[in-house]
Amino acid sequence: MKRRFSKLLVANRGEIAVRVIRACREMGIRSVAVFSEADEDALHVRLADEALPIGPAASRESYLRIDRVLEAAQTSGATAIHPGYGFLAENAAFARACEDAGIAFIGPRSETLALMGEKTSARREAVAAGLTVVPGTFEPIADEARLALEADAIGYPVMLKAAAGGGGKGLRLVASRDELLGALARARSEAEGAFGDGSVYLEKAIVGPRHIEIQVLADHQGHGVHLFERECSIQRRHQKLLEESPSPFLTQELRERMGALAMALVRRVGYRNAGTIEFLVDAERKPYFLEMNARLQVEHPVTEMVTGVDLVQLQIRIAEGEALPLRQADLVQRGHAIECRVYAEDPDAGFLPSPGRITALRVPGGPGVRDDSGVYEGATVQIHYDPLVSKLVVWAESRADAISRMRRAISEYRLLGIRTTLPFFDRVLRDPAFVAGDFDTSFATTLLARADERAERPTEVAAIAAAIGAFEERQRSRTRAATPSTSAWRAAGRREAQTARIGSRG
Amino acid sequence: MIFDATVLGRTLRVEVRGSDGRYTVSLDGKPLEVSASAAARGLTSLRIGALSHEVGLEREPSGYRVAFPGDSLTVELADAALGNAAPARREHGPARLTAPMPGRIVRLLSAAGADVLAGQGLVVIEAMKMENELRAPRAGRLQQLLVREGQAVEAGALLAVVA
Repeated sequence: MKRRFSKLLVANRGEIAVRVIRACREMGIRSVAVFSEADEDALHVRLADEALPIGPAASRESYLRIDRVLEAAQTSGATAIHPGYGFLAENAAFARACEDAGIAFIGPRSETLALMGEKTSARREAVAAGLTVVPGTFEPIADEARLALEADAIGYPVMLKAAAGGGGKGLRLVASRDELLGALARARSEAEGAFGDGSVYLEKAIVGPRHIEIQVLADHQGHGVHLFERECSIQRRHQKLLEESPSPFLTQELRERMGALAMALVRRVGYRNAGTIEFLVDAERKPYFLEMNARLQVEHPVTEMVTGVDLVQLQIRIAEGEALPLRQADLVQRGHAIECRVYAEDPDAGFLPSPGRITALRVPGGPGVRDDSGVYEGATVQIHYDPLVSKLVVWAESRADAISRMRRAISEYRLLGIRTTLPFFDRVLRDPAFVAGDFDTSFATTLLARADERAERPTEVAAIAAAIGAFEERQRSRTRAATPSTSAWRAAGRREAQTARIGSRG
Repeated sequence: MIFDATVLGRTLRVEVRGSDGRYTVSLDGKPLEVSASAAARGLTSLRIGALSHEVGLEREPSGYRVAFPGDSLTVELADAALGNAAPARREHGPARLTAPMPGRIVRLLSAAGADVLAGQGLVVIEAMKMENELRAPRAGRLQQLLVREGQAVEAGALLAVVA
């Protein structure tokens, strides 16, 4: 069944809502934004053709409200909904509600979401499709004694994982039996809070793995392709920070094999639209199926840059019933792309959230640079939502050139008012092991544990700049106290010692 | 105007004279011609001799945070003429734990009156969908615990006192 969308609702916020609105505008489709009370001034509201309020700031009362999102679609006359990632993107009940309302949900069928969204059923499907999964249980385990026995059988260290999870939420690494019950309580409560489902299962913890994923696209006619890999090993507490394509770790043989494995799973479950199959690859280059993300990924731009394919536009075309205009043989990886996730977090203070108003902003430009942002100068980064501000992406002919280009782009990126992860990326990109492509998922944690090795930091320029700032301030206001209180200064200096991140986000 | 500027543990004496964006700066006795102009809110173009920098200047309680591309440094300023250099960090006496950002208290990990170790988790605060454990600034008795589970707090709110 083919149809053309004339109006599409974007059931999301931030940079991904902006990304979808951009695709709509290029395709001549009118876009409808939805927004919470906190997001009235957000960029996605300003860029969309129409915008409708859907409730209070808390996402549970707005972006996660299926009834309000559907009502907004019906009010505006939108015939399709793009869910972005997070929020309702992998919610089978939402997809089914769209199907029932005759609105096209841009993603897989609701039954596929249900099947792949429950992680143990996804593991069973992967095994049936011929993929190797990480050793572990194939169903959630509620009984503590049985859980302990299973963990002994698998062998420590093990990972406790939320069955309804994904995106690194509700995960706990357990080193020994002593830690199991404590970790179980935490994982359950976190999973309950994040997904409304506290079920957990066990997997063996793979030591020193790479996190590498395969992008797939499949149409409603049963034709599918993979768009190669993304290397996502630069992570902190299971949250991805930097992604690239191609992976410097994969051989051509392994790339093709992982692509074929991904397509076997796509065929097995009758997958439609864009999706990603995540693997852990161990030091012997053996790939283990981790999970399938049945949606567009945050890091999709690196794939777009190396393949020249607009994934969001193709998602929309597939949902319209069009046949995929690509054959596997048409696709090549050209050059190299890197993405840095610019989060409102302070890398100097244990990645503490840093919400607030962006007082100055200038984004980099020039050859091969793309900034997928959800903010503007004067915008406020909200406390209520994920702290992703923007994704800085570069493309160049080689990996070495892409690293140089990203460092250049970071040197141009000026953002004041909040702290961001940009300084952290500058450290990563200068690290000899990263430059050599020699890293695994422990890289970021190890790097952060080391003192910053920057030899030449601009201390004298900083002293001059601060002194001139103070001089000018005093000229303007002679009445201001000569030296302000130092209590907040000491508090800031102590933050790192005082804080440890223990939670997770979507 | 003379300042003692402390950056990364190093203190430099900086004297500033001039006006309208043109300054003569003496850095530990070394004279420099400096011109400065604000390019955007908070972003300042700084030319020191022929060297060009663009820095972000953000006011901090006892000085400035100076943002460079991919790096930023905190500069603590003291007025050299007044001789009121910032006091050294106190190692004794009550230590206050304050909220580093606005958020919601999700868990209390200790109780008032308990003996705590330096670095021991006291309170879990949630902001931006992440839970963060706030730890004891030093060892001692948890004299006061001023928040309860579920409470919303502003940045800088006093959460606990360790004495």
